[in-house]
Amino acid sequence: MRSHTVPRAALAGRRVLELADEKGVYCGKLLADMGADVVKIERPGGDATRDIPPFWRDEPGRDRSLFYLYMNTSKRGITLDGTSAEGRDLLLRLAATADLVIETFAPGYLDGLGLGYQTLRALRPTLVFTSITDFGQTGPHRHFRSADLVASALGGAMHVTGGDADPPVTLAGFQANVMASTCAAAASLIAFYHAAQTGEGQHVDISIEETTAATTHVCGIGKWLDDGIVPRRGGTGLFASVPSGAYPCRDGLVYLMVNRPLHWKALARWIHEVTGVEAVLDRLFEGPSSNRLPHRDLLDVYIADLTQRFTVDEVYREGQRRHLAFTPVNSAPAVADDPHLAARSYFVEVEHRGAGRLRYPCAPYRHTETPWRIARPAPAAGEHNAEIYGGELGLSAERLRALQEAGVL
Amino acid sequence: MKQALHGVRVVEFSAGMAGPWIGRFMAYCGAEVIKVESRDYPDVTRLYVPPRNPELGIQPQLSPWFTDWNAGKRFVALDLAKKDAIDVAKRLVARSDVVVENYSAGVVDKLGLGYAALREVRPDLVMLGSSGYGATGPSRSYVTWGPNIEALAGLATLSGFPERECTITQYAYPDPLSAMHGLVAVMCALDHRLRTGESQYIDLSQFEVTVSAVGHVLLEYLSNGHEPRRRGNRALHAAPHGCYRCRGEDRWCAIVVASEAEWERFCDTTGHPEWAGDPRFADLASRLANVAVLDSLVEGWTSVRRDYEVMETLQAAGIAAGVVQNVEDQARRDPQLAARGFFEEIAHVKKGTVVATGIPLGLTGTPGRTGRAGAMLGEDTDYVFGEVLGMPADEIRRHVAAGIIQIQDQRAEQGEGSNGSSR
Repeated sequence: MRSHTVPRAALAGRRVLELADEKGVYCGKLLADMGADVVKIERPGGDATRDIPPFWRDEPGRDRSLFYLYMNTSKRGITLDGTSAEGRDLLLRLAATADLVIETFAPGYLDGLGLGYQTLRALRPTLVFTSITDFGQTGPHRHFRSADLVASALGGAMHVTGGDADPPVTLAGFQANVMASTCAAAASLIAFYHAAQTGEGQHVDISIEETTAATTHVCGIGKWLDDGIVPRRGGTGLFASVPSGAYPCRDGLVYLMVNRPLHWKALARWIHEVTGVEAVLDRLFEGPSSNRLPHRDLLDVYIADLTQRFTVDEVYREGQRRHLAFTPVNSAPAVADDPHLAARSYFVEVEHRGAGRLRYPCAPYRHTETPWRIARPAPAAGEHNAEIYGGELGLSAERLRALQEAGVL
Repeated sequence: MKQALHGVRVVEFSAGMAGPWIGRFMAYCGAEVIKVESRDYPDVTRLYVPPRNPELGIQPQLSPWFTDWNAGKRFVALDLAKKDAIDVAKRLVARSDVVVENYSAGVVDKLGLGYAALREVRPDLVMLGSSGYGATGPSRSYVTWGPNIEALAGLATLSGFPERECTITQYAYPDPLSAMHGLVAVMCALDHRLRTGESQYIDLSQFEVTVSAVGHVLLEYLSNGHEPRRRGNRALHAAPHGCYRCRGEDRWCAIVVASEAEWERFCDTTGHPEWAGDPRFADLASRLANVAVLDSLVEGWTSVRRDYEVMETLQAAGIAAGVVQNVEDQARRDPQLAARGFFEEIAHVKKGTVVATGIPLGLTGTPGRTGRAGAMLGEDTDYVFGEVLGMPADEIRRHVAAGIIQIQDQRAEQGEGSNGSSR
């Protein structure tokens, strides 16, 4: 029945229906790139995520959003109007073949269409039904509106990101959604494990506020209740690690973090060797990071005195030779040209029919037996309608055409 | 109802957050997670000195990070420099399904605990190695921590205000990010193993995970050849889209107006219907072109109001708004997190109880729970070696006497750290 099976894929044979906006597309990607048959279901004409700028070669187009292209690799795409009776019927038939549904609608919306978890579960008891919403399915704010920026605010990320004199700031690339999607993928796979043992699926209720709050846990409740200190923005240095931060070199910035007592000793020795400053060797600065906390600014002066004498690459290589955690502060071009990533063949070229080739960031993990791969580029809207509705559900070409004309597909 | 990962046993050689957080989640879902430490190389989060009482020195059981990221686990310690200890570790792995390690790349191989060796004793083992750069490549043995990876992966230069070259989080974002990707990777391998019985090794590079998480941003350079601009809190697809100052010290509210209908409601709600008719703000393109003026007008409205009032007022009009909350706000002033029971009180051997951050997996059919908070080095020596391995009590005693199995000396712990000599 399956039109394609990829051998040696971890999730080969797992079928996923994705009804997801920007909150949940990365969840589908994580599973699709590991071999699951992820069928992306868009509204007729295609989802709004196709319009997220910027675009490939800076030319707008519904198949050219870089966000859309990246987030939908390895998926098949169909269109469907779930609010119509015919659309609902088709979705139920598809759900009966699925291991997982990923959805990002407001709580209760699919229930209202007769497409909620309880309905689908009756058709398919092993089904895992994963909802990714801003605040979760329950609670007084479940109908509040949100966005990645708002989740980053409420979840505690922005308060502790950026310069101490600057307003709170968010990370590039919608990281609240990325992390929520990753948690959703993990939870869905854990639910698969349970379903395989017991035959029972379940509803997974992901709240982006909660996944963000968990992500910021280094600054979280345990530490605060313990020491009464509410962490806030602190520039580039990490509050708990002294020294740490971005330091100037002759041609850019290098990042350093010292966490263990022996690393401080090694750094102090290097500073002394190069600058001749004796004071840096003072035993006052030795031991755990907390011993250095009162001297943070002074130590930063010593370190900058070292780093400013060299290029980023010199500090990086020599620092690492001394087992010190120095890394370059890389720009996008530097990441694209990074020799370590090149040696690991991190970037992969993907052919887009008719549109050319595009180099993609590749696997977040390497499995020896079931390697991550981009099976196909992101689908055009409804690209696999004939393959899935015709080939798998057995709809005739006339019926397909009629549904298309009626705006159901 | 059995928990989702009931029957799965995990052995962890790990430190910090990127490794331990994987086991934390698995233990929460019912897996038995055994953390193997070494007294000479304790988990770095055990090097905790209470900031209000530094004279107490290092307090390895009081670290709020250690107790949380290792909650629900079993604790044993082995002197992994000794061959007999490696044999004991292998006996543990032989009775386990998953090994998670995040030592520097190559360390477990040198110890004799690499994948090839462990697969011999457990033919269907799933093993994850998580390191800064991954197990191969020219920089594989380099040392990194979470913020290093933010810098290395480009996240630090892609994020933040245009005038700031480098923006860093205080929460070591690549650590939780890598842990969650590690959990996905392990569960994919377990799903494959369920159907095939096949073992495999997973090489996770925290550098690569983090580049993948901003892959769509990097794609702008890869496809169009120009560097993505830092936009601070602004966006190309919505305006207003920002973080606005409110009344009080360091109080802010994030606001996103996502459509023309929302923009009209925003103008009405804020009592500025004239903005809706202002040609500078007539549509998204105009608002983006005049975004500095727009943001200052919005901030004029927010800055005389309290943050929660701004949020409630805009939410009542169906506009996305959220207070820039700190941890105290989340614990004391967030009715949503409270209603969902996000924070979890768990038992702690010295403090009685501590509050743990919620594990946001949302498994409604098999809700997880957190056992005891992270405990003493060697706390579960008798259970793990006696019950899991079936080692007779006199053999355990012999191994302890020989320094192969290590237990925490309570008196040593009291005095530990004040001279800062611990590694």
